[in-house]
Amino acid sequence: MKTDAPGARPGSRNPLLPWRVAALLLAGALLLVLPGRARAADPPAAVDRGRYLVHAGGCLTCHTADRPGAIPLAGGRALETTFGTFYAPNLTPDRATGLGGWTDADLGRALREGIAPDGSYYYPVFPYPAYTGISDADVEAIGAYLRSLRPARQTAPEHDLPWYLSSRLVMFGWNLLNFTAGRFAPDPARSADWNRGAYLVRHLGHCGECHTPRDALGALDSSRELAGNPAGPGGEKIPDITQARDSGIGRWSTDEIVMFLEYGVLPDGDFAGSSMSDVITDNTAQLTPEDRRAIATYLQSLDPASPPQP
Amino acid sequence: MRHRVLPALLACAVLSVPAVAVSATAPADAIKYRKAVMAALSNHVSAFMLVNFGKVEHQGHLKAHANAIADLGTQAKVLFPAGTDAGDTDALPLIWKEPDKFRKLLGDLEASSAKLRDAVAANDKPGTLAAFKAMGEACKGCHDRYRKADD
Repeated sequence: MKTDAPGARPGSRNPLLPWRVAALLLAGALLLVLPGRARAADPPAAVDRGRYLVHAGGCLTCHTADRPGAIPLAGGRALETTFGTFYAPNLTPDRATGLGGWTDADLGRALREGIAPDGSYYYPVFPYPAYTGISDADVEAIGAYLRSLRPARQTAPEHDLPWYLSSRLVMFGWNLLNFTAGRFAPDPARSADWNRGAYLVRHLGHCGECHTPRDALGALDSSRELAGNPAGPGGEKIPDITQARDSGIGRWSTDEIVMFLEYGVLPDGDFAGSSMSDVITDNTAQLTPEDRRAIATYLQSLDPASPPQP
Repeated sequence: MRHRVLPALLACAVLSVPAVAVSATAPADAIKYRKAVMAALSNHVSAFMLVNFGKVEHQGHLKAHANAIADLGTQAKVLFPAGTDAGDTDALPLIWKEPDKFRKLLGDLEASSAKLRDAVAANDKPGTLAAFKAMGEACKGCHDRYRKADD
């Protein structure tokens, strides 16, 4: 018999083989499970930081449906713009309808370049032109927090757009004309407070998306940063928040800005309504007092905007 | 004595009946009154903040402002009678289309402003801030949905 010849043993004769098969199967199963496990094991500190950044990034305001009992970040809010109605997608880690399976690289590319993992382009209603300044560390923390959410199966409705925007490829051209990717670079000539405020206002908090007027192509007019937008989302008139004394907030003290961001109360005792009401609840009221102060410091450094051209 | 007072009281009661039975208030006046009360409310909020956040030193005034905010917060619910949706007002017609939702927010204002008054009376600083924040949520929620945006 040749049964003992090396390489020619029938499996049934080898008492160790079933164990080897079992070990292989187990290893295979672990390989399938482990990526999920490894993801779930994001350090709690990163998850907490990510939660803070998701508030500071205003993600909740658009990515939560505007109805009572809506699941936070599961998408669905309608965003009416002059270019059509967009529906914010689901950010929970559901594999079928959300961000399940996304890597930090996928998230970074989406946030900072406006490109989905499948290579398709986002519309700039998603503020990637502002988010492009977000740091690597912040992208990773945001990813850790989003992965920690309970997956919700919920698909946003299709965007309702005119024919000439229905192809996302249009955005390739739009990006060529209007978009430059790049991380935020602190200005060493300014204070740490100012730089933190600049990062929050220009990038993470994307204040300009509503407060800066847009040109005919929908790109922000950077020469009029935060000078107000007469045709904001939902047809709302968004105010000037530069240091202009009459049209802007040039008469507000630093503390008044800070209190507005925390409580939504204006210096005259009125409370903000309209879309800023949600921004305060979801974003600025959730920030640390230091971050609110940093925002105020940055805003108070802006030149007063001249009145808009008639 | 008694027979002199009673007829007078009766006369008063009779005279006041029309005012109760049929609201003789012109919608334009109701709107003016609503705006005046809301302005009074916001002025007390503004004054309250200046004292509460230490911008002025009149700590002794804080209770008066908190009491006024609570009182005016209670009045708000009767300031939106039917027929006051048109005219010189920023109040949106949606108020009268979903009265229950609207009343809930006014109820939140009433409850949170009462808490503010009580927290100030008890010199409870964290409670004051929490009540102020809750009141802000009610105010913002209502202004967001039921007040015309600036134009």
